[in-house]
Amino acid sequence: MSDTEKTLRWGMVVDLNRCVGCQTCTIACKHSNDTVPGVQWRRVLDIETGTFPDVERVFMVTGCQHCAEPPCVPVCPTGATQQRADGLVTMNYDVCIGCAYCAVSCPYQARTIVHDERWYYGVETKQEKAVAHPERLGVAQKCTFCVEKVDEAKERGLTPGVDLDVTPACSASCIAQAITFGDFNNAASNVSQLVANNKSFQMHAELGTDPQIKYLYEAPATPGRDIGVDENDDERMADLSNPLVGKLQTFWDWRAAMNWCFGGMAGGLIFAAYAASTVGLIEPARLTKFYLLGAGLMSIGLLCVFLKIGRQQRFWRAFSRPNTSWMSRELYIVVVLFGALGAELIWPHPVIETLIAFAAIGFVYCQAQILHAAKGIPAWRAPLIPAMILASGLVEGVGAIALLTGFAAVKPSLMIVGAGLILTIVNAALFHTYRSMAKQDGIPPLARRALDDLAPIIHSTGHILPALLFFVALIAPVDPAILLPIAGISVLIGGFWWKFAIVTQVSFQQGFALPSAPQRGSGKRAAPARMGGMPAHV
Amino acid sequence: MSDSKKVPIFCYQCVAGPDLMKVEVKDGVAVRLASNYDIKNEHPGGGRVCVKAYGLIQKTYNPNRIQQPMKRTNPKKGRHEDPRFVPISWDEALDIVSAKLREIRAKGLIDASGYPKVAVSTGGGGTPVQYMGTFPAFMAAWGPIDQGYGAGQGIKCYHSEHLYGELWHRAFIVSPDTPYVNYVINCGANIEASSGVVGIWREADARVRGAKRVQVEPHLSITGALSAEWVPIKPKTDAAFLFGLIHRIIHERNWQEVCDVPYLKERSNSPYLVGPNGWFLRDAATKKPLIFDARDQTAKPHDAVIGDAALTGTYSIAGIEMGPDGEIIEHAAALAKPSFQLLLDHVKGYTPEWAAGECDVPAAIIRKVADEYLAHACIGQTIDIEGMTLPFRPVAVMLGKSVNNGWGGYHTCWARTMLAVLVGALEVPGGTLGTTVKLVRPAASRTGSVQPGPDGFMTYQFNPTTKADWASKPDIRNAFKTLVPLSSNSPWSPALGPAHLPWLFQKEQPANWPLQTNPEIWFCYRTNPAISSWNAPEVAERLAEFPFIVAFAYTDDETNHFADVLLPDATDLESLQLIRIGSTKFIQQFWKHEGWAIRQPVIDNAVDCMDLTDVSTELAKRTGILEEYNEAINHGAAGMGLRKKSFDYSIDPTIRHSREEIWEAVAKAASHELSEGKAVHGLDWFKEHGYMLGTFSQLDWYLYPSMVRQNLRFELPYQERVVRHGRELAHRLHESGIQWWNEQLKEYEFMPTYQPFPEIWLEHVREHGGDPDLYPFWALTARSMQYSWGANVGIPLISEVADNISGHRGVIINRSAAKRLGIAEGDAVAIESVTGITYGNAVLREGIRPDTLVMIGQFDHWKTPFAKDLNMPSLNSVSALSLSLTDSTGSGSDIVRVKLYKAAKVAA
Repeated sequence: MSDTEKTLRWGMVVDLNRCVGCQTCTIACKHSNDTVPGVQWRRVLDIETGTFPDVERVFMVTGCQHCAEPPCVPVCPTGATQQRADGLVTMNYDVCIGCAYCAVSCPYQARTIVHDERWYYGVETKQEKAVAHPERLGVAQKCTFCVEKVDEAKERGLTPGVDLDVTPACSASCIAQAITFGDFNNAASNVSQLVANNKSFQMHAELGTDPQIKYLYEAPATPGRDIGVDENDDERMADLSNPLVGKLQTFWDWRAAMNWCFGGMAGGLIFAAYAASTVGLIEPARLTKFYLLGAGLMSIGLLCVFLKIGRQQRFWRAFSRPNTSWMSRELYIVVVLFGALGAELIWPHPVIETLIAFAAIGFVYCQAQILHAAKGIPAWRAPLIPAMILASGLVEGVGAIALLTGFAAVKPSLMIVGAGLILTIVNAALFHTYRSMAKQDGIPPLARRALDDLAPIIHSTGHILPALLFFVALIAPVDPAILLPIAGISVLIGGFWWKFAIVTQVSFQQGFALPSAPQRGSGKRAAPARMGGMPAHV
Repeated sequence: MSDSKKVPIFCYQCVAGPDLMKVEVKDGVAVRLASNYDIKNEHPGGGRVCVKAYGLIQKTYNPNRIQQPMKRTNPKKGRHEDPRFVPISWDEALDIVSAKLREIRAKGLIDASGYPKVAVSTGGGGTPVQYMGTFPAFMAAWGPIDQGYGAGQGIKCYHSEHLYGELWHRAFIVSPDTPYVNYVINCGANIEASSGVVGIWREADARVRGAKRVQVEPHLSITGALSAEWVPIKPKTDAAFLFGLIHRIIHERNWQEVCDVPYLKERSNSPYLVGPNGWFLRDAATKKPLIFDARDQTAKPHDAVIGDAALTGTYSIAGIEMGPDGEIIEHAAALAKPSFQLLLDHVKGYTPEWAAGECDVPAAIIRKVADEYLAHACIGQTIDIEGMTLPFRPVAVMLGKSVNNGWGGYHTCWARTMLAVLVGALEVPGGTLGTTVKLVRPAASRTGSVQPGPDGFMTYQFNPTTKADWASKPDIRNAFKTLVPLSSNSPWSPALGPAHLPWLFQKEQPANWPLQTNPEIWFCYRTNPAISSWNAPEVAERLAEFPFIVAFAYTDDETNHFADVLLPDATDLESLQLIRIGSTKFIQQFWKHEGWAIRQPVIDNAVDCMDLTDVSTELAKRTGILEEYNEAINHGAAGMGLRKKSFDYSIDPTIRHSREEIWEAVAKAASHELSEGKAVHGLDWFKEHGYMLGTFSQLDWYLYPSMVRQNLRFELPYQERVVRHGRELAHRLHESGIQWWNEQLKEYEFMPTYQPFPEIWLEHVREHGGDPDLYPFWALTARSMQYSWGANVGIPLISEVADNISGHRGVIINRSAAKRLGIAEGDAVAIESVTGITYGNAVLREGIRPDTLVMIGQFDHWKTPFAKDLNMPSLNSVSALSLSLTDSTGSGSDIVRVKLYKAAKVAA
């Protein structure tokens, strides 16, 4: 790689004052990149702010922002998504397994996965056959900044963004010259000059992604304005017809949720069983059975995830990125855990048992981090999520142990009761804090509404009821063999429920943001009066 | 090895074209399409094509296309009658059509009512001409054809602008001089959706430059969104707003300081003296209108050397007035006033406060807009264009479709043009310009059409209204020559007549009028009047009454549902044609170049279709008019005369020529003329290069130099000539016992008097026995850039991307108004007028007045595949075909009083 290439940073400048929302870029992109029905790598939003008679309407180009710090790259377990030295965030369809981790990690809703062939007229036309991309089925896809053109430019000695044949289709096709493509690392480039001479913003800059699409909203001759928080109040941001509002993600459905539900419980169970055995509540000889039960539950979760991914035959590629991806790490831990379990079956040994226990809790930790690293879903990336997943795993483990006291597999003990009570309270406090901090943590109104709907059942089933039962068991002379299993079931239901909901019901996407806009519109939004005229234009 | 190439063609799906593109063809399949960047430096829109062009490949491979010629086997016609089309060969299809044509030729081309037995309708804006090959030559060879059946064009257009604009400043279409303009008052022209690539390209540059646009319209359109200020005016009251601006400028401000007084004196009829009867006071000997010279206190003919033309005052002068029908009124000492004085008197009562009461725009905003307009007018400044110094007046006023057609159209057009005249901004750099001529001649040169006419104005060919020459018997069914003097008599005039009247008269025979007959054969091409007309469902009923319809058909649609023969159309990527590009055209296409571009078959025909040139040749041959047809081509019916002084590429008229032979000749003639014989190119050259250009002077963007050179004046503010024709027309009609055009005749006024225009539509509700209070909304429409003109509603790709823009999923309603009715986003609603009903889903927005609904585009399909499942409402299903809603130019407007309520479901 030459020095020049190292210093390149391809990006775009989108001038909100120019964009007319015509969708020419959208459709030119579809042509250039042969995307199938419903897939738009490039899209223009039609955004309205204010209330009649003070209204403004702005059109905003969106798509992959080719972030300098792309949240999609480190999470990818296969290495299918990479960042090139020139800044382009690339996709290798032949490597991607379609796990959708990148898709939920993107705060710009830039990625799509199409699992089945689809055609515009319901039947395949000659053209669609000629431009079909079977390699894209079941894997993640997104804007490439027309990487083929950028690379062709290199071969031909041309400049993308200047020479139209080698400029990304959206930029080249734009009929308002609203999209400019170029090298941000070159101070003299078209894009650098535009951002140097005009005010600009980056979308979701606060997330630290350093997106490489910069939006102009104010030129020297045309005023711009910052959009107040009051303009995007909860009511407006809870309106799904508002294009700024993120929709419920559908990349990870119930099958993905099962991994957290079963995996967390299983990890907790293994660890709790190990802990119980160390204090003599479980006979050492029976520990393996607990481990096997945990591994079985974990396998159910993993099987569900396996069924969810787009390209199952190449699932093994998910082992590729333990250096950055918690998903790869989770798999390695699964290997360690199952490997150790195999060894334990052949040659039981306390060291192996300890290893298994810590692998199990490591597995839960990975799950916690997987969710937390998904930057595209505010409810997941919230700071308390790792602690909540971990704490839930532990309490579910204790809950499972408590349940198993009813089958005489575990000796009822105040230690279980105490651990259950403490962990239940910790979980309750975490969930409550998570919810009360939700707005502050950037969780959008629709997700907060879902959380609010969820809270009574989670708190009552997962926290209050078991805590009460544990408490009664602690102070009252009731047979713990009756109370503990009920408390355990309650804990398990609560844990299962909230994780299922957090993955499938609270998981609204980040949505889009328009922090500043050209000043225009009606009433208070209108550009200021200008009585002085303009100098003669030549 | 795959075979791949990029084929250059043009896109002219809308009137804002043409734009050029290249289609990538791989192994014989068109796979992708992109702008033709080769022309990026010459094309004023950077060589780009817009969103619509990208639908063309999907259009070509649409499995719903008519696959081969078809004939109807169910003799009964009706919306609910299955036509029972059966496939036939091209030979049989052409035999059926030509037999019918021969039968007509044998019996006579005109029917007992004097109407042509053959009628042809093509889609809006003349764009089908860019696709119909040599069909115009067939029409020319045939003889009289009724081209006056409107299908949306001619009635749902910028109608008053077309007619008055062309009269006043050769402006069939009006545009700001966008590359220079700095302040635009835009009453509802949705130019960011309708002015194509060039408009959007230039407007974007203007915005960044700091040009300010104030958008005055009831809903925040795309254009409103991109304007510095949106003023939500009450529908159809724009004239009040504009009159208020004029009042502000000439009454509240010191007009002698803020107006371009020399321009008023020298380039308008402001100083012309008007006699007590309202006609110009003229010199008795020369009959020339008089101007009072304040310097030597005498009245002089308008073209005399005048020291200081008086614009105000009252003068006692001897002279004559010339009324209608040769009436001469002699005055020994008439009290005469300059027309500018009459203007002052006329608008005295139109104060901003008065206007605010009519149009719901605060007086303060009216004053601010007027003042900003003046502040930007740069009066006294000049600019050098190609070495010539011209006035620089970077202000303009634009009018939208529903603002300037129908009642109120004359008022708004007059006020808009007057606003330009007051500051000397008409037809000068930066100002309000025309782009194209369609009624005056020569058609190929707008500035060339600036020729001296009477009274110091440009010539204009009014349809005669004198007793001797008035067309008492209409020669086509919309009677443009009989009813609308201003529509002139060019090839475009039939489409610019009252093109909805044939449908109306077919239902209700007017009194003292030739018996309304149906054409014996009706050809339709790229048009769908059963969807695109006012009261489209009723037009569909009329179509069912047509005895024989030949439809050039792409897919099934609501119009060809009634056809007898379907001829599958060779679409955009399958046929061959050369067209003129450049110069100044339509919306904003001001070029510094002109030339020719090609559309060529990119692939082998995807269905069993035939190029319209070949169809035309074949029909001409089978009908026995081949020689006339070939001669029509030689005379220029294919867009270029093949035989001129300096060259002769004419085709042998006696034999049949293939499309390639015909266009080869056109290519050579066109390139010969363009290059003055230096670079003569055949068809293969064009197929390879796509286009050929020469230069076009920017000075030809402006009429001003030609006006000064010939010492001509713009015919404003005073409309003496128009009124004379109006009065004469009244005489003629009344002599013929025709009273049903009386309301229209009242519109002929020297200067327009404001009427409360919305009241006309309320009255229409009452006419139908309705209570206007029960129809509380104004329903309007707005253009969709993704769909407009493109006939692309059946293309899913277009639908997909259009959905990103609000309003493409239903009827737009103000959020608060919807809440009051208990209607939520996406709810199925019915929109009902006194004449029709349409269904759709509610789209809640803030950018719309609470008393207004907007239905974008033209939908409500019930036959067109894919489109019929869109469940989009359409204004055309609730609007009326009505004489009382027709103005004197023969147009109505897209506005309807409606009610809206929740519907059980969206009706299919």
